[in-house]
Formats: sequence, structure tokens, C-alpha cells
Amino acid sequence: MTSGTEHELMSLLRGELAAEEARELRARLRREPELAADYRRLEQTWNRLELPPPSPVPPGFTGRIMARVRSERASGSLSWSSAPNWVRATAAASLLAGALLGIGVGRSWPAADASPTPEGAIAGLKVSSGEDLSLAAGYWKLIVESTTGGETEARP
Amino acid sequence: MATESVTAAAVDPGWEALAKVAAGNADAFAPLVESHQERLLRLCERLLGDAEEARDAAQDVFLKAYRKAADVRPQGQVYTWLYRIAVNHCLNKLRRRKLVRFLRLDAPGDEDSPTFDPLDRAADPASNLEARRRWQATRQAIGKLPENQRSVLVLVRFEGLSYRQVAEVLGITEGAVESRLVRAMRRLEAAQEAESSRVSSAEGKR
Repeated sequence: MTSGTEHELMSLLRGELAAEEARELRARLRREPELAADYRRLEQTWNRLELPPPSPVPPGFTGRIMARVRSERASGSLSWSSAPNWVRATAAASLLAGALLGIGVGRSWPAADASPTPEGAIAGLKVSSGEDLSLAAGYWKLIVESTTGGETEARP
Repeated sequence: MATESVTAAAVDPGWEALAKVAAGNADAFAPLVESHQERLLRLCERLLGDAEEARDAAQDVFLKAYRKAADVRPQGQVYTWLYRIAVNHCLNKLRRRKLVRFLRLDAPGDEDSPTFDPLDRAADPASNLEARRRWQATRQAIGKLPENQRSVLVLVRFEGLSYRQVAEVLGITEGAVESRLVRAMRRLEAAQEAESSRVSSAEGKR
């Protein structure tokens, strides 16, 4: 049986064929026993498909749904899940644009290429009056001591 | 086609209810739930094969519809739109179920053959048993279908939708509906033949 005929038989079974086409196919079924056997097999398979009757709607079903609807409305008409699609799309696009901008700025930032040195770190902590921050210097000493086991003399 | 959609939108009062919901009147959603809950529960039950899970799924579907009320464009019938949400939701649940079973290393035969306890409407215990056997066989055969064929078969065979309606629900062409249905029928035919030979050989051994 060709695929086209199989589709036609299925459509005939489902009542999806136009009246003229259905008439022609029925005439073919009378003339061609093999095709008629195919149709009977298809019909049998179709009719043997049975499912149990559906369960009835449980009592209070609408009420439960409406309670969820009201609680959702009360808990956040501004919630992310209840936001319209256009709001979510705009927010997602803004996030993406922000992230791309951040990456671009980060790459072009001159300070990003400078390798950090202890001098630079301390210099960066100088206050406007030109005095060293004693707390920063103390921390630096602790870091150097812990990484070298206290053998190297700490920088001021 | 466009005229048909406009006419359908004008006829179906559900779109008007959804417009009220979108405008902030949540209570306008209740009549919509009332009028569609039966068919949505039935669809979820037939796709999932479990009444309890279907109730949860149908509730989730209505909640999703409520959230989407502001975005929806009135086109066709409201139930088509609701069916689309329901089919997608149930197929996602089935995918998750498959994943959970895979992670639990369940036997492949257990997949998609949930136990269910249909209503006992047959008076005769023997015919009741026979009906249960047929239901179980159908359930298992449907459960083994690829999901795109399963949704088409359930919508056409058990929901009685036309090819055009199924195409609208699933967002595919009528030709695709037809092809999926024919492929599903071939698989089901093979499954039914295998089941018949299994039954005959079991009876022959007795």
C-alpha cells in the first residue's frame, strides 16, 4: 500500500475526505480486495483503541483554581511570572545589553592590563594628604609573611 | 481564513472574559474555568494516564492561561488556545517523568504505563476485567508512541478534533497531522498484533 493511499484510507475512516473523493475511494475498496483488507485492519485498530471514561470534575475544582488566581494576584501583580511577555523580553534584552556593554568596557579599560605590584597596591591606598594608610601597610605585611613563611622582610 | 477567525472570536465569549481578566478583573476568569474544566481535565488525563496528576496539570494549565491573558491575541476558539497550553504542559510533564524514571534506572517497560483506577461502570465482573485489559493495552500502546504522534492521536481519536482543529492546537499543518496519525496507527497496529499473539500463545499454554 502506498503512503498516499494509506493517508486516504485514514482520512476516509475519519470522515475527512471530500464527498467526491470518498465516493471514489469506496468504489476502489469494492473493486480491490487487498485495499479493502487494509481498510478493515485500519478500522479494527482504530476501534480497538479504548480508554476508560474520564474521571468527573472533582467538587470545588473551580474554587481551588480561583483561590490560586487570587493568591497570585494578591502576592504580586508585579511578580516576574505574571509579567507580560513584552516586559520580560525587554528586561532580558536590557540585561544582555548591559552584560555586553560591561564586557566591552572591561576589555578597553587601561587599568585592566596593568599587572598589580605591591608598590602599586600601597600607592593606590594613599590618601589625598599623601600619608600611607597604616592599616593597609599592616595588611600587606601580614600577607607577605604568610606567603613566604616570614623569611622575607616585609615591605613597609 | 481571517474572516473565519474574526467570526470565531466574535462568537466565543471566552475572549471577552480574557480581556476583562487582562484588565484586572480576576473574577471574570471563573466562568472560563467553569466552561472548559471538564474537557481540559479529560485531555490531561488522556495524555498523562493518571487522574490525580491530570487534576494538578489542569490547575496549572488554567493558571498559565490566567498569566497569559494579557498577551493573548483572539484567534479561533478559546478552547483551542487552552488545548495548546494543556498539550505543551502535559508533554513537558511526560518528559520530566521519563527523565526521573531514567535517573531512577526503572525498567524500560515501566515507562509511561502508570497505574490508573478507572470508574467501575461494568456490572459484569468478567466484562469489567476485559474492559480494564483493553484500556490498559491502549494506555500502554499510546504510552509507547513518540510524543508528537501521541498528542495527535489523543486529540483526533479521543477528543474528536478534526485535522484542521488539531493543526491549530499544535501549530502544525494539516498534512503533518495526517502523517503523524498514519505513523501512529502503523505502530498501534503492530502493537495490537503483538498483543494478540501474546494472548493466543498464553492461552495455548494453558
